[in-house]
Amino acid sequence: MYRYDEFDHAFVAARVEQFKDQVQRRLSGELTEEQFRPLRLMNGVYLQLHAYMLRVAVPYGTLSSRQMRKLGHIARTYDRGYGHFTTRQNIQYNWPALGDIPAILDELAEVEMHAMQTSGNCIRNVTADHFAGVAADEVADPRPFGEILRQWSSLHPEFSYLPRKFKISVTGAEHDRAAIQVHDIGLHLKKNEAGELGFAVYVGGGQGRTPMVAKMIRDFLPVEDLLSYTTAIVRVYNLHGRRDNKYKARIKILVHETGTEELTRQIEAEWQALKESDLKLPQGDIAAIDSYFRPPALLARPEGWAALAAAKKADAGFAAWVDQNVTPHKNPDYGVVTISLKPIGGIPGDASAEQMELVADIAEKFSQDEIRVSHEQNLVLPSVALADLHMVYELLLTDGLATANAGLITDIIACPGLDYCALANARSIPVAQRISVRFGAAERQSEIGELKIKISGCINACGHHHVGHIGILGVEKKGEELYQITLGGSADEITTVGEITGRGFSSEEVVDAIEKIVDTYLGLRASKDETFLAAYRRVGAAPFKEALYGEISRAA
Amino acid sequence: MSAAEQNQKQLWGREGFRDDPYIEAESLDAAGDAPAVILPLAAWLGLDDDVRRTSNRRIGVAVAPGEDIDPLLEKLDTIPLIALQFPAFNDGRSYSKAELLKGRHGFSGELRAVGDVLIDQVVFMLRAGFDTLQVTNRIALERLKGRDLHDTPGYYQPGRGSAQAGSYSWRRMPVA
Repeated sequence: MYRYDEFDHAFVAARVEQFKDQVQRRLSGELTEEQFRPLRLMNGVYLQLHAYMLRVAVPYGTLSSRQMRKLGHIARTYDRGYGHFTTRQNIQYNWPALGDIPAILDELAEVEMHAMQTSGNCIRNVTADHFAGVAADEVADPRPFGEILRQWSSLHPEFSYLPRKFKISVTGAEHDRAAIQVHDIGLHLKKNEAGELGFAVYVGGGQGRTPMVAKMIRDFLPVEDLLSYTTAIVRVYNLHGRRDNKYKARIKILVHETGTEELTRQIEAEWQALKESDLKLPQGDIAAIDSYFRPPALLARPEGWAALAAAKKADAGFAAWVDQNVTPHKNPDYGVVTISLKPIGGIPGDASAEQMELVADIAEKFSQDEIRVSHEQNLVLPSVALADLHMVYELLLTDGLATANAGLITDIIACPGLDYCALANARSIPVAQRISVRFGAAERQSEIGELKIKISGCINACGHHHVGHIGILGVEKKGEELYQITLGGSADEITTVGEITGRGFSSEEVVDAIEKIVDTYLGLRASKDETFLAAYRRVGAAPFKEALYGEISRAA
Repeated sequence: MSAAEQNQKQLWGREGFRDDPYIEAESLDAAGDAPAVILPLAAWLGLDDDVRRTSNRRIGVAVAPGEDIDPLLEKLDTIPLIALQFPAFNDGRSYSKAELLKGRHGFSGELRAVGDVLIDQVVFMLRAGFDTLQVTNRIALERLKGRDLHDTPGYYQPGRGSAQAGSYSWRRMPVA
């Protein structure tokens, strides 16, 4: 993975010193909260319902063991012993004291991390496929380009005060695990017929109150043009994106109001003037950054095939976990392990200091010192030898990290909701917990198969409900929390926005409603191989609406 | 803006504070006999080209974030000053215009940032191409007096006042 050089270290250190000074001025009263606000936001510090919240960037979701250990240390020393992994592959601390934040940033800088651009109307932390570099179906590792974008976008003089936040995601596989079509810019790394690397460029995806699927504006952009083309897109957006209404300020609205064809024309015209500028990436630079991400030399471990088969036969729990949480690695002697942060009845994405340290230890010993954070709020051990899987499983079991539910109905994404967030209208976490308990039995989950439930506590959609196979949106109506259900959303290579079923459900009713939907699916699926999403796409909303609302909905 | 705040308005450039010969006026007539005037874009565009060229005073133009710079592009070599406005610090449109004017179109006159200029944006403004900043914010004034620009030791993108950092092509180091 990428390592800071002197340039990076000096840059981050200077920013920490500046923020120390700003915090000092705030604590002494020289700065009012209002004056301090833009400064703290530049450093990832939010003021939430109960306390300040610090969001730490995990670029493209990749961490070393040392970094993960540090995150655990920070949770224990400065917070209440845990942290929360987010849908943008970052980690949030919910209870730091403002006066401690400069010390936290110092500690992060020690392990080459920071909290810059995790908030504010700038180019946010770049996300990537959490299986990048190891997935069997990958064309090329997208993270080197994530790193180039991270550097280039850091304190960008022209793009630090955009109309609204700006999110870029990259993937290098046909099967999109990075949800690129719901990002401001989505980049799909691929090869052309000549075998050269380039990107399909998508623009204007997003969720929030106006969910939109991104439009592809270029089928193949040579990799050396990455920064010039991105500059062209962001410049057109910076100049013409709406600033009169923050709910209409994302680039998706500009795409929608200008029209894809006209906006593409503007972007291409801007790009023509930038194409041969200083922003053109020399192959040598791409290769140099790429070399940081070269897969480690993995030892041949062919003994794992037989060992794995034997261990599965002897341990049913292990077998279920392997089937659900281990995906194919480029190297057939290895597997990619998803560590579920969704224990039955638990808080999605939360991890204790001890769990973080355990994962760090396991990664150091069994996964080439590397860990990923997924946008589905799980952790990933990218390269575990099949021969070591049982050992890893046993270790994960010791601290509740071996839940065999990756991709199943209890692998729920949920935003922090009204339990923490100043913007939320309704609680998300307790709903996730109750659904998880209701469907928690292993056989039942396995019977249901792949089903992604995503829950947001307000229209800002941080819980990605629009693209959940089943989405749940918490709203507030007459002082009561109400939950609206959407069906058929998806954020992979065939991205769709879910359709609202009808009137919302109370907190008491909502889990029953989910159960009705699931039972309806089980009753109508063509076979066990037809997933919920496939079945929904085949039959449409009607049977589900009828189950939820009865005959009336057909008449209406 | 109160009269007291008006009095504190100061002009700053890389070399430090400097006198400002310009006055802002709605039209040439309203500018009296001031030797250097900044007009709003509409008024500036309304001037006859000959009047502008043969005038014995310098006539600059102020551009609001929502206004287009395209009509100025053909006449750039005759414009002594363009003032790009920042009605609020977080309206970043003028950064892109600065970049276009200085970077792409080679504007060689004075490019000035006007409005909500805070210390945290000073380096961004200089790097985007602004030559001068009109500052009223107290903290910004104090810090600029102490030449404490909140700068970083290096930059991750090309920009004015910097040179290749000797590593990746996108990196830059400040030049003294």
